[in-house]
Amino acid sequence: MITVENLTKRYGSTTAVQDVSFTVEPGSITGFLGPNGAGKSTTLRMLTGLTPPTSGIARITGKRYADLLNPGRVVGVMLDAAAQHPGRTGRETLLLNASLLGVPKGRVEEMLEAVGLSHAAKRRVGQYSLGMRQRLGIASALLGDPAVLILDEPANGMDPEGIRWMRGLLQDFAARGGTVILSSHLLGEVQATVDRLVVIGGGRIVANGSLQELLAGSGTVVRGLDPVGLNQALTAAGLQLEPIADSSLRVDATAEQVGRAAAAAGQILLELRQSDGAGLEDLFFQLTSAPAAAAA
Amino acid sequence: MTTLTDVQPPAELPAKHRADVATALPPARGQSFPKLVTIELRKSVNTRSGRVLIAAILLIAVAALAWQFTHLPAGDAGFDGFLGAAATGVMLILPVIGVMAMTSEWTQRTALTTFTLSPRRVRVQLAKFVSAVLLSAVVMTAVVALALASTALAGAVTDHAASYAGLGGQLTGAYLTVALNVVMGAAFGAVIPQTAVAILAFFIAPTAWSLAGPALFKDNANYLDVFGALGRIAERDLHGMVPETLTAVAAWIVLPTIVGLWASSRREVK
Repeated sequence: MITVENLTKRYGSTTAVQDVSFTVEPGSITGFLGPNGAGKSTTLRMLTGLTPPTSGIARITGKRYADLLNPGRVVGVMLDAAAQHPGRTGRETLLLNASLLGVPKGRVEEMLEAVGLSHAAKRRVGQYSLGMRQRLGIASALLGDPAVLILDEPANGMDPEGIRWMRGLLQDFAARGGTVILSSHLLGEVQATVDRLVVIGGGRIVANGSLQELLAGSGTVVRGLDPVGLNQALTAAGLQLEPIADSSLRVDATAEQVGRAAAAAGQILLELRQSDGAGLEDLFFQLTSAPAAAAA
Repeated sequence: MTTLTDVQPPAELPAKHRADVATALPPARGQSFPKLVTIELRKSVNTRSGRVLIAAILLIAVAALAWQFTHLPAGDAGFDGFLGAAATGVMLILPVIGVMAMTSEWTQRTALTTFTLSPRRVRVQLAKFVSAVLLSAVVMTAVVALALASTALAGAVTDHAASYAGLGGQLTGAYLTVALNVVMGAAFGAVIPQTAVAILAFFIAPTAWSLAGPALFKDNANYLDVFGALGRIAERDLHGMVPETLTAVAAWIVLPTIVGLWASSRREVK
């Protein structure tokens, strides 16, 4: 459980984060999105005690990060997988953290296996690829069996197999009651993984809600055997639509409404689906480009 | 999820992330200071660069001992000669380990992990100081053992007699000096979070002072002559220059330590 209340961070005369508040419930995965420079990393650093807030408070499981007894046992953090010492082996990196967290060595071997690095564990981190460092970072975050995960760009540098694996891992984690907040620029992946979204732009929260709610307005994509006829039928039914590529139409309506309107006019449909392919990206730009102009 | 990219549950994922192991882990405890010191000790020797530095110290010591062995002055083969030769490498390189203990967290950016796992930074930094002193003692012990062996060997093999005169005093002086040098290195590393700049400052600044100071300030330069102060401490004979010694130590060791602890607690971790 993460609660953020009115977090603000000022650097001299610049306000990086302005009055940010949101909650992340256990059992859910929340995507934390925003353009570069919007205050995402600053917020995550305030959450993990790396940057003191100018005002406001962030709590994890009811306590401030710095007040947690052994934070790694409660919160698994991975902010930058590249921030690992290249001269240490993978295994030694995890063993060090395990010792600090008070977990037995067996746990290290478990995590190495869980992330698929057992074979590379005795090589120095400097010889790892980016994807391997990400896996090591995840292993490190999960080492203390935390209840909460805070991840910044967890899928960075990973191949499709790794991305799918990560998605499964996070969903499994949340299904068992864990709390996850992850920030990412891979909107397609975010859409496939998260339940809720918090979007930050110009230092302020510009959206906070369930993924489905926020994307609900993005409509339906339909393609018919007779594109012109279909267009007429839907317009006659009073539906707002716009043509998109290869004679498809995007309609501001549910699939049912489109289906009924087409059926009423005897139109044959070739494709009918939610237009969520472009939904999150459009939503993102809608939310974050306007405030950028207004941000002081 | 109604996306087209829906997947089957990953079969290869071991179901071992939460509830299954939660009961198997011991309960969470705080991080005790000795534990922090142990971790810091481990960190200084479990990297390639750390091990290379220590190996370099020992190799230089062996080389210096061999040289001393083959260039024995007339009279007894004194332990002090061997220790003096071997300790040079230690005095030069060990403070670099002290510097790096502080700076590598920032240059390698491991500060992100270190200060996330242990948010109370002052404790961690103090643990680094203590660990640097302990490491210096361990390395010094190895060098002392090598020097003792060389002295015994010289007594046995050459026609000089082995002499261990003043052993206790020399050892005390050596351990004390190297510990102070390492603390000074770590203090510089705490204030200047870049390895190369901190090392340069460490080697150049006090030397520059001992060269320029007397020209500018005559005898008063002694108040800030840290090498002189450390030398007197090593001899355990302050020559009555107590205020000068204390001021030099305060200015070059205590002050940077305090400033460094304060600065690193507030530094933004990027």
